Amino acid sequence: MEDYKFLFKVVLVGNAGVGKTCLVRRFTQGLFPPGQGATIGVDFMIKTVEVDGEKVKLQIWDTAGQERFRSITQSYYRSAHALILVYDISCQPTFDCLPDWLREIEEYANNKVLRILVGNKTDREDREIPRHIGEDFAQRHGMYFLETSAKEAENVERLFMEIAVELMEQAKCKELPKYDGNLGPINGGVSCRIRFFVYIFLIRKLLQ
Amino acid sequence: MMPARKMAHRACFFVSRTVYLTCCCGCCSALRPRYKRLVDNIFPASPQDGLVKSNMEKLTFYSLSSPEKLDRIGEYLFQKASRDIYRRRHGFVIIAMEAMDQLLLACHSQTLNLFVESFLKMVQKLLESTDPQLQILATQSFVRFANIEEDTPSYHRRYDFFVSKFSAMCHSNHGDKNTRDKIRLAGIQGLQGVIRKTVSDDLVENIWEAQHMDKIVPSLLYNMQSAEKYETLSCMESDGRDGVEEQPPRLAEACLRELVGRASFGHIRSVLRPVLTHFDRHDLWIPTDFAVHTFKIIMFSIQAGAGRGRGRVRAARATVLSNIVAIAAGESVGPSVLEIINNLLTNLRTSVARDSEKETDEKLYQEALINALGEFADHLPDYQKIDIMMFIVNKIPSGARGGAGKATRADAMLQGILLKSLLKVGTTYKTTELSKAFPAAFLEALLRLSSASEPSTRVLLQRILHTLLDRRGNAPHLATPTVDYAELGLTVEKCSRQDLIFISKHGYAIFSSLYDGLQLESNTVENIEAIYTTLALLVIELGSEETVCDVMQLILAIQQSGISNPVISVSQQCQLQAVSLSLATLLPHVMMLPRVADYLNKIVEARREEAIHLLPPVLEDYPHLSPTKMPSKLPFLMIDQMALAECLKACGIESSRLQSPSPYTPGGGISLAHRHSWVEAGATQGRDSLADITAGPTTEMDSANSSPGVQRHPMQNESVSLEALRRAANGPSEMERRDAERRKATLNNAFRTAPFGHLVDLTQPKYEVKDKLEELFNSISEEPLLPVSGSCSPGTQTKSYQQNVPPYTKYFPELFLY
Ligand SMILES: Nc1nc2c(ncn2[C@@H]2O[C@H](COP(=O)(O)OP(=O)(O)O)[C@@H](O)[C@H]2O)c(=O)[nH]1
Ligand SMILES: [Mg+2]
Repeated sequence: MEDYKFLFKVVLVGNAGVGKTCLVRRFTQGLFPPGQGATIGVDFMIKTVEVDGEKVKLQIWDTAGQERFRSITQSYYRSAHALILVYDISCQPTFDCLPDWLREIEEYANNKVLRILVGNKTDREDREIPRHIGEDFAQRHGMYFLETSAKEAENVERLFMEIAVELMEQAKCKELPKYDGNLGPINGGVSCRIRFFVYIFLIRKLLQ
Repeated sequence: MMPARKMAHRACFFVSRTVYLTCCCGCCSALRPRYKRLVDNIFPASPQDGLVKSNMEKLTFYSLSSPEKLDRIGEYLFQKASRDIYRRRHGFVIIAMEAMDQLLLACHSQTLNLFVESFLKMVQKLLESTDPQLQILATQSFVRFANIEEDTPSYHRRYDFFVSKFSAMCHSNHGDKNTRDKIRLAGIQGLQGVIRKTVSDDLVENIWEAQHMDKIVPSLLYNMQSAEKYETLSCMESDGRDGVEEQPPRLAEACLRELVGRASFGHIRSVLRPVLTHFDRHDLWIPTDFAVHTFKIIMFSIQAGAGRGRGRVRAARATVLSNIVAIAAGESVGPSVLEIINNLLTNLRTSVARDSEKETDEKLYQEALINALGEFADHLPDYQKIDIMMFIVNKIPSGARGGAGKATRADAMLQGILLKSLLKVGTTYKTTELSKAFPAAFLEALLRLSSASEPSTRVLLQRILHTLLDRRGNAPHLATPTVDYAELGLTVEKCSRQDLIFISKHGYAIFSSLYDGLQLESNTVENIEAIYTTLALLVIELGSEETVCDVMQLILAIQQSGISNPVISVSQQCQLQAVSLSLATLLPHVMMLPRVADYLNKIVEARREEAIHLLPPVLEDYPHLSPTKMPSKLPFLMIDQMALAECLKACGIESSRLQSPSPYTPGGGISLAHRHSWVEAGATQGRDSLADITAGPTTEMDSANSSPGVQRHPMQNESVSLEALRRAANGPSEMERRDAERRKATLNNAFRTAPFGHLVDLTQPKYEVKDKLEELFNSISEEPLLPVSGSCSPGTQTKSYQQNVPPYTKYFPELFLY
């Protein structure tokens, strides 16, 4: 007997500081953590919700926003059923980075993945990104859109519940991508000459 | 007494089931199934009291005597623990986990598999909780499980979640340092467990796949890089010092050693790729101590791993490889680029000599060498790629055709391997002018190989021609013969004057070699198609009014051989008809020849009606062909020389040459005598119109000097001349060698004793070879070798000096110590 009927993997991405970890904490633990450190690498949370009387387990992978952890975080995109792309409505640069994130998602995630754009921190007075701008962006890129406040617990429950509902519908229509451990794309962008020398070095030493 | 109790138990068994459904508060425990009661009894009233030992013994005994109940016991324990986690009664959760551990260790039986499912579910459940204590506990259980050798591993079991979660734990940023370290340690131990569990059996879970390595390797490195200082143990054994288990950096290092040590030769790359990516991402190259530390660990572990098993093969390989890739200090004799190539080739040759069909490791090793070659070539300017290709081609045994005996099997294998290497290098080359891509000696060597005895070798050779000829990306469209070119989207440009000169010189040699290639009895469909592709590419790349008659003459000759060559089979005759008509119909797509197109279309139509077997696709076999359908019986379906000449004339092409006697004769054996002097022969073979072109403005040909976009370096003695090639092949002279030895000894000594800053100084004036290599590599791309932002080692060097020092020798002196 299983204690859930559906299991979905949800991955959060977006610049550091936009409130990804707070959103996850709010949803899974019902609290707004005071001053925790920035996420490094990846963090993991779980929550089981009920949709139409069926138990749905959400595995939530919360990633670090910083560039240097990109290679490990990318390795989590591939098996995601849903990707939540978060920006901070009071911080224009986090919105400006969205195209970069989309490119990354395009490259590393399954193309059928459910994508949701989230503008977080609606409680703040100093809004820089009007709602309709975020909405437009989401529409243009085929994403769902929602504005949230992890602090005031606004729309956080709704965000994850709607994901659960949507994924469950997909699962019932068998549209959900199946993950059977296929290879991810090989990371490029490495200074190939360094690689080359190390490679030679290794061959050389390998059987010395 | 006993039987009575049993009776009672039996009597109320039915009741117990129904009652259980309505009552699960524990008040009716006497009525529940035995295994449930046994499980319930191991829990104390208060969690502080811990597992009830005596009852645990009973449960273990019961499980051993009724192993078929194990899965239910596991499931029940899991259910209880789930409830307890939900109610935050962690004390009971810990007890449940402990019980499962004990059962797992006690019950080595066939049914363990079923129990393991619930066991792993339990571990996962605990890992999913937010409580560090439970996560750590779960990891310990997982590790215990990982150390058990299962008789029959379960192939459907997946460790995906565990890799993901343990990797996340390796990155814990828990506020309390002590807890953080514990979680990270647990994460590393967990990864170690997964590795142990999966590494020996790819069917369980292929741990070497990128999706796992991209998580495991960065997680280990992230922990290693946080160490305060890096001490690399020189021993090949794992870290035997105390306290490994308590410090994340050291445990991570031990785990990395184990991972690399267990990697087979072919898997090393899977580990290495994420290592390099991680170093790039985290800017870990400078300062260099961590990089050096890490790569040393990798090296030691590879050696330790290689030490186990298959000693003989490894040892043989070891001696051979020890002198591979001579970038090293002191070995400054001869052109180093070619030394590297020569070394790689020598190793390939030795490996082939050792090879037996079964030895897959040997194959992997050869592949690695070929890849190294390709990777190396990829970093050289194009003119050097050609030199390398010439170098390789000269090492290929020619297969002793026409000579004393047949080529040996080893020769044939070496041919194949070296041609693969050649192809690898060839694909990195971007052809601009054909004369640059095919210097006369290179072309001659290639064409000589086109008659190799092994059909697969001949296919490889054609592939090399394809990659060098195809400047416009047409090759994929021309993989198989066709008469419908309109839809293919071929890219056609006008043939340049230089190319015309090239074909005037070498056209006949190329054409006749391809012609002969089509006549070989051992040809497979793949051979025929590959030669077709080469010819079609030539037609496209060299299509012009000056060459059209020569091409047509060749096509007619192929057609003729498909009727009259008595040696080839009927199937091959049909194949040649399809090829010749396919090539003919390609010409009107390359240039304006409307009359020719009309004429050929009629033939195509007629064949479609009456002799579909003379049209593409070419088949391996043409069974049930009635004698009346043999090509020789269908002259009216052939391209007629006179008619074709008329059509060409109507298109304004001087076609009298088409009527002159054909230089091609089936049965290459007769013309073999002048096969080796065809370069000259080509020019005097009466190819007047082509020869005329040569009289135009003299262009320097066959010179590697002027590859566009690449400046030749002011390093004459380093430049790759034939003389240099020969020298590299023969090795340095005795005197040169002694000289080099002496310099090497001094240098190595200096490297061992001198402080780092001094070394940089030392390397500056004497290291010509490395400097030159550096120059070479810098000229290839603008991209800096290392991020410019990286700070240089502090010292007295001026800025201009810094630019002169090869960055990698400066940052990685250790890499050049050997
Ligand atoms: N006002 C406000 N601040 C928030 C909200 N969510 C997160 N923050 C703050 O933003 C900072 C970064 O949050 P964090 O969750 O660590 O961001 P992450 O890097 O995306 O995981 C913290 O100081 C949070 O207190 C929100 O909804 N409203
Ligand atoms: Mg975070």
